[in-house]
Amino acid sequence: MELLEVLKRLSSLDGPSGYEQEVIKYIKEEAEKIPNVKSEIDHLGNLIVRKEGPGKKIALFAHSDEIGFVLTKKEYGNYWRFSHFGGVDPKAVISQRLRIHTRDGSISTGVVGMLEPHLQTEEMKGKVPSFDELFIDIVEGGDKVSIGDLAVFSSEPFSLSDKYFTGKALDNRASCATLLYALALLNNFVPRSDAYFVFNIREEDGSPGAKAVAYKLKPDLAIILDVTHGDVQIPSSPKIETGKGPVLDIGPVISYEHFERLKKLAEKISVSYQVEPTGGVSYTDTDAIQITRGGILTLLISLPIRYMHTPYEVTNIRDIEETARLLSSFIAQGGE
Amino acid sequence: MNNLYLKELTELNGVSGYERRVREFIKEKIKDRVSGMEEDILGNLIAWKEGKNSKKLMLCAHMDEVGFMVSNIEEDGKLSIIPIGGIDPRTIIGKKVLIGEKEIPGVIGYKAIHLQRGEELTPPSFENIKIDIGVNKKTDAENKVKIGDFVAFATKSTVNGDWASGKALDDRGGCSILIDLIEDNIGLFYTTYFVFSTQEELGLRGAGVAAEKISPDFAVVVETTTSGDNPEFPEARRSTELGRGPAISPAHSGYVIDEKLFYWMLDNAKENNILYQIKRRTVGGTDARRIATTLAGIPSAVISIPSRYIHSPMSVLNLKDYENTLRLIATSLTKEVKDERTY
Amino acid sequence: MKELIKKLTQTNAPSGRELKIREIIFEEVKDFIDGYEVDRLGNLIVWKKGKSNQKLLLDAHMDEIGVLATFIDEKGFIRIESIGGVSPYNLIGSRVLFQNVEGVVGIEGETAEDVQKNTKELNFDKIFVDIGAKNQEEAEKLVPLGSFGVYSASFTDLGKRIVSKAMDDRIGCAILIDTIKRANPYNDFYGAFSVQEEVGLVGASVVAFNINPDVAIAVDVTTWSDTPKGPKRMSLELGKGPCIKIKDSASISDRRVVERLRDLAESQNIPYQLEILLRGGTDAAALQKTAAGIVSGTLSIPCRYVHSPHEMIDVDDAENAVRLLQALAEEPKALI
Repeated sequence: MELLEVLKRLSSLDGPSGYEQEVIKYIKEEAEKIPNVKSEIDHLGNLIVRKEGPGKKIALFAHSDEIGFVLTKKEYGNYWRFSHFGGVDPKAVISQRLRIHTRDGSISTGVVGMLEPHLQTEEMKGKVPSFDELFIDIVEGGDKVSIGDLAVFSSEPFSLSDKYFTGKALDNRASCATLLYALALLNNFVPRSDAYFVFNIREEDGSPGAKAVAYKLKPDLAIILDVTHGDVQIPSSPKIETGKGPVLDIGPVISYEHFERLKKLAEKISVSYQVEPTGGVSYTDTDAIQITRGGILTLLISLPIRYMHTPYEVTNIRDIEETARLLSSFIAQGGE
Repeated sequence: MNNLYLKELTELNGVSGYERRVREFIKEKIKDRVSGMEEDILGNLIAWKEGKNSKKLMLCAHMDEVGFMVSNIEEDGKLSIIPIGGIDPRTIIGKKVLIGEKEIPGVIGYKAIHLQRGEELTPPSFENIKIDIGVNKKTDAENKVKIGDFVAFATKSTVNGDWASGKALDDRGGCSILIDLIEDNIGLFYTTYFVFSTQEELGLRGAGVAAEKISPDFAVVVETTTSGDNPEFPEARRSTELGRGPAISPAHSGYVIDEKLFYWMLDNAKENNILYQIKRRTVGGTDARRIATTLAGIPSAVISIPSRYIHSPMSVLNLKDYENTLRLIATSLTKEVKDERTY
Repeated sequence: MKELIKKLTQTNAPSGRELKIREIIFEEVKDFIDGYEVDRLGNLIVWKKGKSNQKLLLDAHMDEIGVLATFIDEKGFIRIESIGGVSPYNLIGSRVLFQNVEGVVGIEGETAEDVQKNTKELNFDKIFVDIGAKNQEEAEKLVPLGSFGVYSASFTDLGKRIVSKAMDDRIGCAILIDTIKRANPYNDFYGAFSVQEEVGLVGASVVAFNINPDVAIAVDVTTWSDTPKGPKRMSLELGKGPCIKIKDSASISDRRVVERLRDLAESQNIPYQLEILLRGGTDAAALQKTAAGIVSGTLSIPCRYVHSPHEMIDVDDAENAVRLLQALAEEPKALI
């Protein structure tokens, strides 16, 4: 599998929460290139790729949705008011171009501009406008847009250097790429578990996608792949760095026993890893999955990325490769 | 049988997600007194006893307490912490704690007042609080503890006369009541499940999983709750008053208590001359919310021992209230929940 | 329809105490259904058999917001807490209706400055209800501790617009009742009248569990933007038609539900609006997470002054909602 190409494609596809179908379609195509897999899309839109095998049922989850925007009200001329899906910093939208998906399938383009400094009053200077004060200026296809149209950042992904890759939606497409890569690597092993690779929808609004799949599959172990903040100093926390390998979460929503097993395996096959403590809920699909049905054993593994929820998130390719290597080995030995 | 193990229960360490010690203790005490017992994936302990009627009633008390987790080991050997559950950072300085499976002792120190200029009334934050385990280097600390270890308060309890004080009365008080009920050999009306749940303090996480397994017809949550009955807090805003008996909740965050069960408890108290009060504040939630919204719906009620200063290392309860709570539940367990609405 | 709405809104049934409204609703629909059930939490579920083997569930919540009597002082003044989203600001100058008596809401203030301050920073601790009792004993006889109250506010017919307390969500109930009466359904049609939505979507969390519908649609009110200096980012106008919800802050409607309702409205010439609600949620957020997940959405009625004692809707919006839902129930094609 050509990891960089897949990552590029995943980042450039648009799939805000609830509207992931193009992303799901592409992942399905890529997954089906790998031998010995069966894939299906469930009634909600989640993609489940199964690599059959004996032994325990292990389900891996990576949500496929990204943050996005929606047009909420037409003002005069080209101007539209808008809202967002998921947590977005208004600073990240200023002076950006947004790609708007219109009803007939065409793409329009809008600009979120900043009033020129010459005209700003003293009060306005130095103040960040809130979403109530921002508006989109449609510069292409203005006659095609309507209320409810979705938009995403229009940033195009690219390699920053030989190690680092950047683009929008690496939260959580980097994890999707990792899962695909792990699935491909799994072919090098004799399967010792029944593995389900789930690319779920809608992590942003309370994990209904992940919960539904967990409910139906009832796996013996669920491994959730998400992203975490890399290369920033968070008080009272260990420093998580890009390039230092997968981040293993520890805390009440994690099965300690399986965390230990994963750690031991990482040490055995020389995958460097990092540990991230989570004192309560993790704000990922893990929280909903752990308490589904009669309870499910869970692991949370995160890829460290920089600048989360901005148009140019940054990931280290090594982290993706090493995480995929760890995952495939772990699944291959039955999650033991 | 009254408050057999309250003291020991409140001294055990069982921070949310790490309830093993509490669970093992309870298992030991009840194993020969129930028809069956099992543990589930979340660590809930579920025990049951047969009743006259095959319908199922689930009693639920949570084993977990609020505490912390080691989030980082600093260069100078001190430990950084993050809270587990809703702890007020103003209650934690100058306390002894125990860390991890080996229960390594430590203290939460704080800058001496002599050295504080005008900061005496500034609340501490978790970011500037560190645990001292008596080493000066990161490597020495790493030999004793690791990131992810739980940190529990080491408060010793007093259980004497009418009063009990200690940590984790919320909800070891409830767990203690359940154990006393099991000991009591009550003539149960319904087949009764005694559930000692986990991770309540992190958002009612364990109880729903247990309820899903059992699929009871009704549930009664036994909690230890807030009061506010002190000279600084206005009477009209109090939640309960100590010494006035068990508190029956009409509603709380996320759930209005089932009308039938609410009046059932009330009637049981009145008919048997058991002192009771109606809880006055709806702030805060219990496992009842989670249980009620499980499967096809499980009508639930909440009865609580009033307490002071919960979610801190030092809370207080009145043992007469404990006794009356025990009496009220024991009596209720022998009574049918009538289907006709007579109110 | 106005008479039905008046009857429903003037029934007093706050969250957790829905007995009265359930009985009235049952009386309205009982001659038009093939079966019914009252589940363990008090939800009323009715159904009409269709010809296909798919199931459509429409949900409206029966409860209204209210207050709980928590404390009575020696002089007989009653303290209250809110059940659901009652703002203390909506109680000042209002009356509260308990089961046996009506009371006036007063505010604390030992000085004129106190009163001003309390009014600016109002909360439930600073208000009380005065039922004109002489002392605590007399008050407790009329309003026992732990009893519930609702807004005391009459129904007013302004022609196209009508005003009452509890439009949220008795208007949804009225729409559901009329749809049940008129529809000759193609799919199996379930009407769920849910309890305790206002305190946390309690009834809706369980109501679909045994039904397992293919599609679930909540019918509720939404907010408004068409009053002087009204919310500037939303576009919700009374009289412009029922709102097909894209998203709110609790959930994202399944895009197929949005498309289906939209296509249907256009082909049947039923006016409609598309809705993005910035803050608020409906039963759909709970329905979608039932068991193995349900494809869900919401159809809303724009409503001014939501959660106040005087909620205003446009009767045409309600009528058009019935037309749209009836069309959906009768359209001879698969739901998704």
